[in-house]
Amino acid sequence: MLKYSFKRLFQSLITLFIVITVVFLLMRLMPEEGYFGDGYEKLDEAQREAILSSMGLRDPMHIQLKNFYLDLLSGDLGESIIYRAKVPIAQILKTKIPYSVRFGLAAMAISLIFGVSLGITMARSKNQLWDKMGTGYIVFINAVPAAIYYLFLQLYITDILKLPILFNPDRPVSWILPTISMSLGGTASYAMWMRRYMVDELNKDYVKLARAKGLRDKTIMVKHVLRNAFVPMVQYLPTSLLFTISGSIYIESLYSIPGMGGLLVDAIQRQDNTLVQALVLIYSSIGIIGLFLGDILMATLDPRIKLDRKAGAR
Amino acid sequence: MTDSNIILSVKDLVVKFNLRGKILTAIREASLDLYEGESLAIVGESGAGKSVFTKTFMGLLDANGWVDSGSILYKGEDLAKYKREEDWIKIRGREFAMVFQEPMTSLNPLKTIGSQVEEAVILHQGLKGNKAKKKVIEILDDVGITEPERRYHQYPHEFSGGMRQRVVIAIAVACNPKVLICDEPTTALDVTIQAQILNLLKELQKKYKLTTIYITHDLGVVANIADRIAVMYAGDIIEIGTCEEVFYNAQHPYTWALLSSLPQLGVKGEPLYSIKGTPPNLFNEIKGDAFAPRNEKALKIDFVERPPYFQVSPTHKAKTWLLDPRAPKVEPPESIKILRRQWQVRANG
Repeated sequence: MLKYSFKRLFQSLITLFIVITVVFLLMRLMPEEGYFGDGYEKLDEAQREAILSSMGLRDPMHIQLKNFYLDLLSGDLGESIIYRAKVPIAQILKTKIPYSVRFGLAAMAISLIFGVSLGITMARSKNQLWDKMGTGYIVFINAVPAAIYYLFLQLYITDILKLPILFNPDRPVSWILPTISMSLGGTASYAMWMRRYMVDELNKDYVKLARAKGLRDKTIMVKHVLRNAFVPMVQYLPTSLLFTISGSIYIESLYSIPGMGGLLVDAIQRQDNTLVQALVLIYSSIGIIGLFLGDILMATLDPRIKLDRKAGAR
Repeated sequence: MTDSNIILSVKDLVVKFNLRGKILTAIREASLDLYEGESLAIVGESGAGKSVFTKTFMGLLDANGWVDSGSILYKGEDLAKYKREEDWIKIRGREFAMVFQEPMTSLNPLKTIGSQVEEAVILHQGLKGNKAKKKVIEILDDVGITEPERRYHQYPHEFSGGMRQRVVIAIAVACNPKVLICDEPTTALDVTIQAQILNLLKELQKKYKLTTIYITHDLGVVANIADRIAVMYAGDIIEIGTCEEVFYNAQHPYTWALLSSLPQLGVKGEPLYSIKGTPPNLFNEIKGDAFAPRNEKALKIDFVERPPYFQVSPTHKAKTWLLDPRAPKVEPPESIKILRRQWQVRANG
């Protein structure tokens, strides 16, 4: 287990290093207007060159790379150029991330609790009422564009329940609808996968043996089936958990929540090169770290996963 | 064998399945008496209903199957009437335990061997904690698992197929049942392991005073372990008798055909015998003797009326019109005649 974790950790670090390098090199290919902000038109060629070299962008590539790594190691993501000129990116993120994470975590908790229990209920009553209702819900959520039911919730439910239409950090009731809206999709997908894995497991031979042993169906469900069905889902949980910091573009703009959603799109549109670079780095690191944690989690739950070649007596 | 020794009595059992709206009759009025302490083998080709028949004793039919009529008497209770889980809980494990065909998938991959056996010990022997663990290790040792203390903490994937089957058997034994049903326990294993597992089952039967039912299509297995043989065809037991009677003095044309298919009984230089045709479609109603369409020497009445049991000896009976006093004399195949002659020689000498 320990050996496996170290091996996976080492692999992740190498991947992370490669990603960082590739992102940095690709960003060098972006149009250079992105480094000037609004004043671009007013500057002549010599002034532009002066600014670029003052930012170190005219240094040889290996020097630039080295400086970039050193900055990253000391936690410096650089300064924003256009989005909020001359403000350190870390500071921009510091104000935005908490909003996104709070909503994201709450929504994820709700989707996990409801999605997983819905999936279990559906699997246990396969082809009966609960299963059909659940399937209806899943199909609806997946088939109807999210924008439609998000808008519906915002326009009608706020009216019916007399909830505030926009986010207000000081009024907790205004947090309810965005959280619920955000959890709808997650609930559907957790329910769908949970049902599917449960049904798979319920048909396995070890369930028959457990019944023949004299265990009650409920005990079999809790002690045998649940963990087996959960293993394939567990791999992606850390990734989803970490990605809550990226926020939801649509929900955040609907309720005007000052979160991370849409920041990347914004930065790209406004050609804020350093901000784009920082965000791409963060998101790709999250992906790598999430998968690493997922693998570790799966290995702790499933004794069959061992990377060392020797797999006991065979 | 007297009636007082009967531990399980099945009468005219009919089991049906609903397959996409179509009704299939898997067991057609089968009857069987099981005697305490004996080992009975149920043989027959795939789809004859061997597994389904025994699964009804434990309420383990799939959700789309049900007992339509008939009775399964066990300790004064009619198991055929059981519907609720509450009832079956008292039977499963405690009275009947089952060893399944597929050792590779019969164990929960995420739990240690020890904990899976222990579950049965806790449930049926009322032991807890260290005592339960001790008992598990004792049972693991009994089923021939070396170093049981170490193996206790291992997972199924660390065991070979034969070893896993030993664990499955350990779970069955840990339930402390009266009757052990072995559903093709050696089919998925290679030949050398097969013999070991069969020997193990024989030993355990003696040690734990079990009544055993073996389901198999391997007649070699049968000769090795069974006191009595029941031959099943199209959901009915068409011949039943002691091992010797069925082997050496078979009466039903299907039993003849089954025995003739044994490579050991083939005549040198001639192609191996195989039964022509396929078993009847159980979606349709079967008239007369189910084997008649595949039987070259079938009588006319075989197509019209279902034969009752004809008693051959106190322990041997078969469902074939050939045993009716009015029936014409039909010669069994050459290989069966050879077997009968061997039997006579044995009986006389």
